[in-house]
Amino acid sequence: MLSRIADSLFWLHRYMERADGMLRLLKTSYILSFDKVQASGITWEPALKIFTTLSPEEIEVLKQNDTAVLQYILTDTKNLNSLKVIVTKARENARGVQDQITKEVWEQVNHLYHLINHHALAEKLSGPDAIVIIDTLINSSDQFLGITDSTMPRGQGWNYMNLGKFVERCLLTVEFTNVFFKKVNHDFTNEQDILYWRSLLLALSGYELHLKNSSNLNHNCNVAQQVLFDKNFPRSLYYSLDRAQKYLRDITESNPVEGISPLSRAFGRLHSSVKFSDLALVAETGLEPFLKQVRKELNEFSAMLGQIYFSYA
Amino acid sequence: MTGDTLFQQYPVVPHIWDEMKNSESIRQQYHTIHEAISKLNLHDLQQKDKLASELFMSQGITFTVYSDNEGIERIFPFDIIPRIITAVEWQHIETGIKQRLKALNLFLKDIYNGQQIIKDNIIPAALIATCPHFTREIFGIQVPYDIYVHIAGIDLIRGDDGTFYILEDNLRTPSGVSYMLENREVTKRIFPDLLANSNVRMINNYPLLLHDNLVSLSPRQTENPVVVLLTPGVFNSAYFEHTFLARQMGIQLVEGRDLLVDNQKVYMKTTAGLSQVDVIYRRVDDEFLDPLVFRPDSALGVPGLMSAYRKGNVAIVNALGNGVADDKAVYAYVPDMIKYYLNEEPILSNVPTYQMKNEDERQHVFDHMEKMVVKETNQSGGYGMVMGNSATKEALQEAKKMILANPRNFIAQPIIQLSTVPCLLDGKLQPRHVDLRPYALCGPNGIEIVPGGLTRVA
Repeated sequence: MLSRIADSLFWLHRYMERADGMLRLLKTSYILSFDKVQASGITWEPALKIFTTLSPEEIEVLKQNDTAVLQYILTDTKNLNSLKVIVTKARENARGVQDQITKEVWEQVNHLYHLINHHALAEKLSGPDAIVIIDTLINSSDQFLGITDSTMPRGQGWNYMNLGKFVERCLLTVEFTNVFFKKVNHDFTNEQDILYWRSLLLALSGYELHLKNSSNLNHNCNVAQQVLFDKNFPRSLYYSLDRAQKYLRDITESNPVEGISPLSRAFGRLHSSVKFSDLALVAETGLEPFLKQVRKELNEFSAMLGQIYFSYA
Repeated sequence: MTGDTLFQQYPVVPHIWDEMKNSESIRQQYHTIHEAISKLNLHDLQQKDKLASELFMSQGITFTVYSDNEGIERIFPFDIIPRIITAVEWQHIETGIKQRLKALNLFLKDIYNGQQIIKDNIIPAALIATCPHFTREIFGIQVPYDIYVHIAGIDLIRGDDGTFYILEDNLRTPSGVSYMLENREVTKRIFPDLLANSNVRMINNYPLLLHDNLVSLSPRQTENPVVVLLTPGVFNSAYFEHTFLARQMGIQLVEGRDLLVDNQKVYMKTTAGLSQVDVIYRRVDDEFLDPLVFRPDSALGVPGLMSAYRKGNVAIVNALGNGVADDKAVYAYVPDMIKYYLNEEPILSNVPTYQMKNEDERQHVFDHMEKMVVKETNQSGGYGMVMGNSATKEALQEAKKMILANPRNFIAQPIIQLSTVPCLLDGKLQPRHVDLRPYALCGPNGIEIVPGGLTRVA
């Protein structure tokens, strides 16, 4: 596989995964914004903190206006991490590798691109159609995942796509978790209302799982346990890294080039720091340093992967 | 409004050949279409038109227009009324193009080797020597099977008496074949019965034929030669076509930066290291292919590519230097080439062409400027053209001045009124002037032309 193609497939999926995470958090926040008496006192703050580079003061101003937030995060091209920009980048990556992805996958990325570029979209976000639009976009993102899964041949391209997806997913969960736990000072013992945690869990599609698995006591602990270590929860750090590990192994086995042992070791260290840890250990180092360390090592890994497999310029 | 009224109201312009209607009635070959569309009303047709647009959009069959740093996606205008070419007409076109390409390939081989055609005084040496696309760098290079033109997109036009003329040969990197293929697929979607009932010949084996030809050119005798399509990248207006062809042939789509030359061999950079490339179907123009030999500022090409090509370690399709035969002044000699190399009479005629460096012909053109079209010899596709019947007096004077300053650089042709086809525009059927571009493939087993072409509105 051409290095350029591998690079594009990796980033296509990173961007699409980011778009997916963004949309889910937005939907949760948007629905919450209707409850005027908010137990938690947070609505748009997490989304703005995670997906924009605005200063705390700017966030304070913007978050008062639902439409403005939606427009800024979804369709504003001045925001370099807006959905429109991300989807455009995803599509550029897909366009450059059209011969390596199936026609169905390309058409789906293209479809999403045309949805987000619809001329009347920004305007509609101010009306009652906003939720319809978010739903349509989420639907389209879901379809992308499904179509990719059901049409893409397994092999090199598939491995790079999925590695990208799970690296991004892990990073998103780190960010979400960090922002939501910051409000409670990263404290496991302090008891927070389930209504507060519901927005985090809904944004990660893990609310139902939480209700099934956890007692009604000690929510902070249970939530942390689920998003960090639950191996059946598809957005936990544990699960994401486990999947990434599989695809990385497939890649290194079929492309045994120079420099792969440091790469495998770096990922192995990161993987074990989550896999062989537990809440008690995390509490010792502190949740925030732990999350920051995971983020740092993931970014380093991603850069190293680029150097070894994608450097073609 | 019913479909039948649409046909009734279709005007035929006098003294112009209309593909559908002669002065009194609808031509035999259009009866089936007439019948099918008569059963529909305008609304149905407009629905079909809309469906066609949506199909193109969702598949990304678009080109990008840049304004204010924002790319706007446009689809190519597509008309839903099919153009019919009868089997008899096609037979004539096919044999004519085959003959022409055979002669052109022989010409290119000759001109880059022994130059017999110059020595025998068929073509003046000065004409070739002054041709900007005559590429000295490739003189003497042996190409596989002596094929220079592997793919030609020959433009044909039809005059008022129904005769087909060759307008341009397009022997370098002709584009548009994907639109021919995709337009056919869309037509199948919008008029399913019509196509099935009309014995339309198949064209969708084009990518397979091309792929077979490409594979057969490999210099390495291996079971699976590595064939790649070299594209200038996503910003090229024909990028859709590049991805389309790469996908249809199952070959890698590469950019210049994906390739490198080592020890006169071409490699692509893959995640598993370097992998040797045998055949390059390039959609990058000659002058950008190798910055060491041609334009040094080109970032689209591969440094050292020419050395690998000269050595015979890689096949390049189409061959370099074909531009010499695309020169409009050289074009005028193609009928002579056919006689010289094949000892045959040309089956398809050229448009009569006046050489501006020839004084008698120049005077004749200057006397009849309003009936002439003046063209720059090294341009194609409508660039560098002055139409005598529509240009202002000043423009004509200007053209004369430019011709006198550099007569070799210009030719003139009598204006031929292109034939018209019906197009659905603003809720009416209206005549529009068109050309026809079939795509011919030359391989070791001969020349093949899939029975179809791209019809473009002039």
